[in-house]
Amino acid sequence: MLTLVGCLAPALLSPAEPASVSPHSAIESHTDGAQAGTAKKDPFETIFIRAEHVITKPGTVLDDAAVLVRNGRIVAVGTGLSKPDGATELSGKYVCAGFIDAWSALGVASEALVDQAASPATRTADGVDVFNFDHLRRDALRSGVTSARIQVGATGRVGGLGAIVRLAPGQSEDDVVLSPDCNLWMTIGLTQGSQPLFDNQGELIGIGGRAMDPFERVESVDRLVSTLQAGKNYLIAKNEYKHELEAWQKTITEKETELEKDAKKAKKDREKAEKDATEKNKKFEEKKYKEDKKPTAPRIDEDNEVVARAANGELPLIVHANRVAEIRALLQGTESLGRLRLVIAGGAEATFFSKQLAERRIPVLVWPAPLGRNRPDEYEASDLSLAARLKADGVQVLIGSGGIDPAATRDLPLLAGLAIGAGLDRAAAFEALTIGAARVLDASDRIGTVEAGKDADLLVLDGEPLVSTTRVLNVVAGGRVVALKED
Amino acid sequence: MITALLALTAPLVFAAPPTKSGPESPAKSVAIRADVVWLGDGRVLEKGVVLFSEGRIAEIGTNVSVPAGVETIEHKGFLTAGLIALHGYTGGQAGEMRDDARPAMPNAKIGLVFDASSPDVADARAVGITSLLLTPNAEGVAPGLTAVVKTSSRRLLKDEAHLSLVFNAGGLVSNREPTSLSGAVAMLDQLFAKPTGAVERAHGGSLPCLFEVGEPADVLRAIDFAKRHDLRGVIHGAVLAGEVADQIKASKLSVIVPAIGVGERRRNLKSVVALAKKEIPFGFGLDSPVNNPADLRLGAVMCVREGVDAKVAWNALTSEAARIAGVADRVGTIDRGMDADVVLWSGDPLDLGSRVIAVYVDGARVDGDKR
Repeated sequence: MLTLVGCLAPALLSPAEPASVSPHSAIESHTDGAQAGTAKKDPFETIFIRAEHVITKPGTVLDDAAVLVRNGRIVAVGTGLSKPDGATELSGKYVCAGFIDAWSALGVASEALVDQAASPATRTADGVDVFNFDHLRRDALRSGVTSARIQVGATGRVGGLGAIVRLAPGQSEDDVVLSPDCNLWMTIGLTQGSQPLFDNQGELIGIGGRAMDPFERVESVDRLVSTLQAGKNYLIAKNEYKHELEAWQKTITEKETELEKDAKKAKKDREKAEKDATEKNKKFEEKKYKEDKKPTAPRIDEDNEVVARAANGELPLIVHANRVAEIRALLQGTESLGRLRLVIAGGAEATFFSKQLAERRIPVLVWPAPLGRNRPDEYEASDLSLAARLKADGVQVLIGSGGIDPAATRDLPLLAGLAIGAGLDRAAAFEALTIGAARVLDASDRIGTVEAGKDADLLVLDGEPLVSTTRVLNVVAGGRVVALKED
Repeated sequence: MITALLALTAPLVFAAPPTKSGPESPAKSVAIRADVVWLGDGRVLEKGVVLFSEGRIAEIGTNVSVPAGVETIEHKGFLTAGLIALHGYTGGQAGEMRDDARPAMPNAKIGLVFDASSPDVADARAVGITSLLLTPNAEGVAPGLTAVVKTSSRRLLKDEAHLSLVFNAGGLVSNREPTSLSGAVAMLDQLFAKPTGAVERAHGGSLPCLFEVGEPADVLRAIDFAKRHDLRGVIHGAVLAGEVADQIKASKLSVIVPAIGVGERRRNLKSVVALAKKEIPFGFGLDSPVNNPADLRLGAVMCVREGVDAKVAWNALTSEAARIAGVADRVGTIDRGMDADVVLWSGDPLDLGSRVIAVYVDGARVDGDKR
């Protein structure tokens, strides 16, 4: 046998395509009833919801309409639907999609939230604690928040992969995690000397410590950009390797065919050469072909894999940055990364860059209290008027509860209310809490609107959504009616 | 002995003392017709008219005859009395609000350090806060006298609203007496044994007290103290005050609910529900500018969502707060003769989505001059 042929044995080198998991696989398995290893589940009930107004998506309202839910999904929305036999009936004045907290801490232990050793491949999903926080999940559901993006490593330079979780209590991890990798998270200006602050009951209440000076912050942007650049280079190297390997395999095949064609002669030549070598008492050496030189694969690096995906726009990169110096540096530094999908979180002074943000379609994820005038490194805007000012400049706005206090997710609708009170229009606030967040986090195929085919995450309300006095009458989360009664 | 010392070392104030008179020039007369007027005593006027004259409310009703030459502003929305934030430091320089060298300075007037031009005051005004109860920092056992100020001018509404008495551990430090809670109570008992100045006025019942507490146990200690010395007033600082609501109810003291913010523990909110259930008078603290002034209305809304009656929560921001601050004869409700402190809202003020459209203090519009 030719040594050459041995080289052709295909190594397991398929360049790591990120395993694309069907987003619905977890849900569909529910229909089989109880799953091995998880708590016994009730089978899905069919739910029929009537409402005076069904807000299917921002700006689209169906009057006197109904929504039909079966096996965890919305199967029909419209007027003139009739209630199937045996369906659970709910009714209210308004029905709309459940709210999404785009920046939450609900469901992750506080030690993980402030972990400073996270790397890009650190997965928040691995830190999800389904055995804890049930009372806070219920509080959040009672106020209409049905899913949340959670993030570990919130104060580290790199926080790793964020996850979207469903807030229905008492579910298994498989049911809870809607997306294990909805974004990559990095921060600027928060890492140096940051210390988690705990209240006297041991609960995490904030991050203390003095933030970095402007030069350190800009330097940390440089590090961020070079991390992204390294990820991009890693991707380039991987692609080059892929092409080189293909070319090499092609050449090998050609050579092999050529040799096969002349196999008899080649065999004879080889046998002769071996015999000659033996007679002359020399060591026989196999003939070398230049095609033996196989391209070397780049070293697999989990962190670079994730960064490469972000640099390539496969998942959004959310950067927590507040002040002018770092936002300017960030926008400049990422200009050459055309496929990057950047989101700025915090963005207290982002209005100085509204034009660029709008042009480059960079959304800003605002939160309730980006420090304030009484903190060491003071900066502009310590209230939610930021949302209105950015929106007026044409920048897409999302709203989150801040990712530190798990109890704050409950107050997301009130935060949206404050943003409205500070000038954001109601429709924009509603969009920010529903389909806007879902789109930015690549979850719009599952959540964010009331449309057939979507997961059934629905609110039944006694009044207009995001009005502070409106009460949530029922919540359907993941196709199940959530008990809202007090514990 | 201690009080004698205090008289000598009364706070050194470098700013010119605020005046007790009204604003420099009386605001011109104006009438506002609003879709909905909340008078603050439970009455609601639809298409109501409020007429201001010389900084006061001259007339209210649905059929007010507006004098010739007086402009009538048509407002599509709500009109209410201005909000009153209790327990704040807004407008006082941080260092001026505390004196941690001496454990007792009952005659120190916090109102003297109020600076109406501070940007924090403009922030408060922008969200509809027209009066503030300024409180000395809870240091030692008797840090001084609270004051009520307007958010528009250097006008002091009341320079002596309460005598502040401290019953929580926060007032104790290890390098000067008292160093224990029992020691603090002993020192206060000494003050009241030979009362002079503000302590004497509190002892005689003419000056209410502000009892600074923390844990429910502090509340009970403060209640005992009030009973022992026959004091009246208000408790501040216990997020779980509602868990000793029966004792508070019996003591006839009222409560300043500490600032409520995003993510507030539900147990704390339930505590407010318990106070409301017992019909204990309460208002909302803000501890501004540490807290965002917008949190004042947010706190009330959160209590409503937790089960406090909307009217009770609104009164806690206005009329009840005015009673607690001892200024109910001037502010907190919309009535003839009251100060023209009024907020125009785009909609129901208990919906956070409703915006402040205009703020009037002493009849003059003040929301335009933001920081």
